[in-house]
Amino acid sequence: MTSQKSAFPFAFAEKVLGNGLRIFVVPYDSPGLVAYYSVVRTGSRNEVEPGKSGFAHFFEHMMFRGTERYSTERYNAEIKAMGADSNAFTAEDMTVFHILAGKSALAKVVEIEADRFQNLKYDDASFQKEARAVLGEYNKGSSDPMQKMEEALYDHAFVAHSYKHTTIGFLRDIENMPHQFDYSRQFFDRYYRPDNVILLVVGDVTADAVVPLVEKAYGAWARGPARPPVPVEPPQMLEERITVPWKGASLPMLFVGYRTPAFSTKSLDGPALEVLGELLFAERSRLHKQLVLDEQKVETLEGSAGRHVDPNLFLVLARVKQSQDMATVESTIDKEIARIAAQGVDEKTLGEVLSHARYAFAAQLSTPDHVALVGAEFLALDGRLSAIDEYFARLAQVTSADVQRVARTYFTPRNRTVVTLQPEAP
Amino acid sequence: MLLSIALAAAGVLASRRPAAASPSQRAAALPRGPRTVKLPSPDNPLVAIRLLFQIGAADDPAGKDGMAALTAAMLGSAGTQRRSWAEVLDALYPMAAEIQTYGDKDALVFEGTVHRDNLAAFAELLAEQILTPRFADEDFTRHRQDAMDFISKTLRGNDDEDLGKQALAALMFKGHPYGHPTAGTVAGLQTITLADVRRFYASMFTQDRLIVGVAGGYPDGFPESFAARFSALPARGKPQRKVPPAPAHGGEVLIVEKDARANAVSIGHPLDITRVDDDFYSLFLAGSYLGEHRTFNGQLMVELRQKRGLNYGDYAYVENFIQDGGTTFPLTNITRRQQHFEIWLRPLAPKTTAFAIRGALFELDKLVREGIPAEGFQATREFLLHYVDLWAQDPSRRLGYAIDALIYGKDIIAELKARLPSMTKVQVDRAIRKHLDPRRLTIAIVSDDAKALRAELLSGKPTPITYDTQDTPAEVLAQDKSIAGFPLPITASRIKIVPAGVMFEK
Repeated sequence: MTSQKSAFPFAFAEKVLGNGLRIFVVPYDSPGLVAYYSVVRTGSRNEVEPGKSGFAHFFEHMMFRGTERYSTERYNAEIKAMGADSNAFTAEDMTVFHILAGKSALAKVVEIEADRFQNLKYDDASFQKEARAVLGEYNKGSSDPMQKMEEALYDHAFVAHSYKHTTIGFLRDIENMPHQFDYSRQFFDRYYRPDNVILLVVGDVTADAVVPLVEKAYGAWARGPARPPVPVEPPQMLEERITVPWKGASLPMLFVGYRTPAFSTKSLDGPALEVLGELLFAERSRLHKQLVLDEQKVETLEGSAGRHVDPNLFLVLARVKQSQDMATVESTIDKEIARIAAQGVDEKTLGEVLSHARYAFAAQLSTPDHVALVGAEFLALDGRLSAIDEYFARLAQVTSADVQRVARTYFTPRNRTVVTLQPEAP
Repeated sequence: MLLSIALAAAGVLASRRPAAASPSQRAAALPRGPRTVKLPSPDNPLVAIRLLFQIGAADDPAGKDGMAALTAAMLGSAGTQRRSWAEVLDALYPMAAEIQTYGDKDALVFEGTVHRDNLAAFAELLAEQILTPRFADEDFTRHRQDAMDFISKTLRGNDDEDLGKQALAALMFKGHPYGHPTAGTVAGLQTITLADVRRFYASMFTQDRLIVGVAGGYPDGFPESFAARFSALPARGKPQRKVPPAPAHGGEVLIVEKDARANAVSIGHPLDITRVDDDFYSLFLAGSYLGEHRTFNGQLMVELRQKRGLNYGDYAYVENFIQDGGTTFPLTNITRRQQHFEIWLRPLAPKTTAFAIRGALFELDKLVREGIPAEGFQATREFLLHYVDLWAQDPSRRLGYAIDALIYGKDIIAELKARLPSMTKVQVDRAIRKHLDPRRLTIAIVSDDAKALRAELLSGKPTPITYDTQDTPAEVLAQDKSIAGFPLPITASRIKIVPAGVMFEK
């Protein structure tokens, strides 16, 4: 249970089945509506075998390819009959399947989701066609230079860890996906197991209504085999710099990744990096005022730390108006990092950052679907909804000294990878 | 679907959209002042405010494309007489509030959602932005340059799907007030001066064009006192420019040539109905059947992606559609007096592009000739009856739909819920035959090798598909033959190739 002063101000129930499947139910004032999220704690981070990058995302697609009981057509017809909003997404640390539907559809949702998570069955033909839809998704993103820049950044920022590839995967691996049918069955067997999945139900429901349905539908699902370990990334020793060419029009861009620690509810480093991100890159920051408003050298300036299971990157992006300003922009950012590392932050500004964080997070909890989305991220990272409050409690403890410490520790040249985009057309 | 690796994924400190509750709705004109819409939900800690001006790109003066959008930016994202833009950002920051500004052909919107703790301060800032703009040189320089960079760099070079959609709009509405991007053209933006913006503001941002909306947990009397502030605007301005019927450009094809791995395709024609008309709701069901946005059930999605693996997605629309942020649902308050029908094929491998275009036209032709299948009609009707309940979950979206309803005189959600139970297949088929006409279609394609694609489309020969995947079912292969030879309504004189580098120059 949580109090009204919590960042996550909802009472919730938790139940663990004998097979390890965890269920969280969050009653929410949304008359008639329920969000049903299935969180698989597997993402592109788990693509540890050579040639298999992008497979978690590919498998997200395959989960819509039917079972003996519910063919693709029948599954889609059920979703259509509910009038549901249903889809899925994949990231580095998770694959999340979500259905937003009327409360009256809950029993059917539990039934069809339990069925596909346990009994997925597809033939080689539909496997291959879906592989080409995934290539289509890669193609969709290919006109955005960020796709190329992300590929380059992660490829160079990591040596051993599977964060080396982006979630959609290396193009060569995507093109080869039609030939990976057997591996796909192994992937399903390995990761789509109750001890690796968490259900999160938010909306006009109670645990008493949900848990018996889940016990019945998922109770016989067997635990999975041991899963391959994810390689540990050694510390970065040298700065990496890469230039990505771009045929055609674009603003030049600067994209920097600083290596950062894994998500934790115990350490202050992650929360302090979030505060530092705000101080450096929020629209009201000194850098934004100087580079975007006063000097007008930069069109967009963003920077923030993500939360990940393993050490990942703090990302900085500047879309620069003129190529000749790239070096100045980079050095201006470096100087501001150094200034904060040396001087810290005054109490008033720190208070404003924490106020911003509190109100921004509250605004994210505006619908059952949004609550479930927020909850899914923390469940994938930590396995507990209470991690949200623990994390925010840490955030509230961040001091100026913490901000200075993380600025000095993580924002060093040898801890970063710098990608620049240089368009060939004016 | 991929969750963006980059900055959007960062989390706690990023703001998202606000909350829901059950409202009673009332739209009224104050004794003096703009029209108002109020949607109270007293238990909700969030309050959404929307200001919609019935001004848009259709009002851009001749030769000054982008004027309405640039003026909106000079209000919503620039300084006030009292504060510089940096000072406004400073004031907004502790509230985690933003003033979102967006525009379309007939509407400009300024909106934001805040915790009710911060309502008074936020409302003061928003009112200041609209009533006492600073019109500072530095803000103007920044916004005009950003708009030109958006057209010349980002749209031309970073987003082929949007480029294809904008190219289709320019083709469909050539010679019409909707015929240029809302953001403007490079030449149009270059001619706009700060004095032009001041004049446009003075003559257009008037009470008769404004709707003030407030929703959520606001205190008693707030909407009235807030709306009354806008009595400071002139009561009336220039009459809204008439929008003539869209000209006929059926059969025209525009290939935008640029470096690209895959070809983005948009197909469409203007419609002569909007939410005002009874037929719209029957046609809406047909559009949903053909390709409801971002669902897996649409006929185009099933045939092109699911069965054939041609691309990532294929959808159809019977009115202007822009996806609202991280949702599946349409942005509200992009009302238009002239609507259009559109098919969106997400990027296709060059070798299958002609086949996929034929596939989409084949499906549309079947729908027009044979009508909607009885089963598809029933399933889509049932789907929509539930799906509309998901469209307006938080105060901001509820308010958006309420304002749309005020403009059209009809609330699309209420209309669909009332009409669907008694809607018949006959009504839908009649609306399809009356309003969808494959001969009127125009096609926009973004392609790396425009000449080869042009030659392929004009060859008069079938464009068969060769799968690089195995075991395609026999019934699909059989239908492929019909699709490969499906006649294209295209002639050499009506295909135009334009390099991306000059798109939307003027």
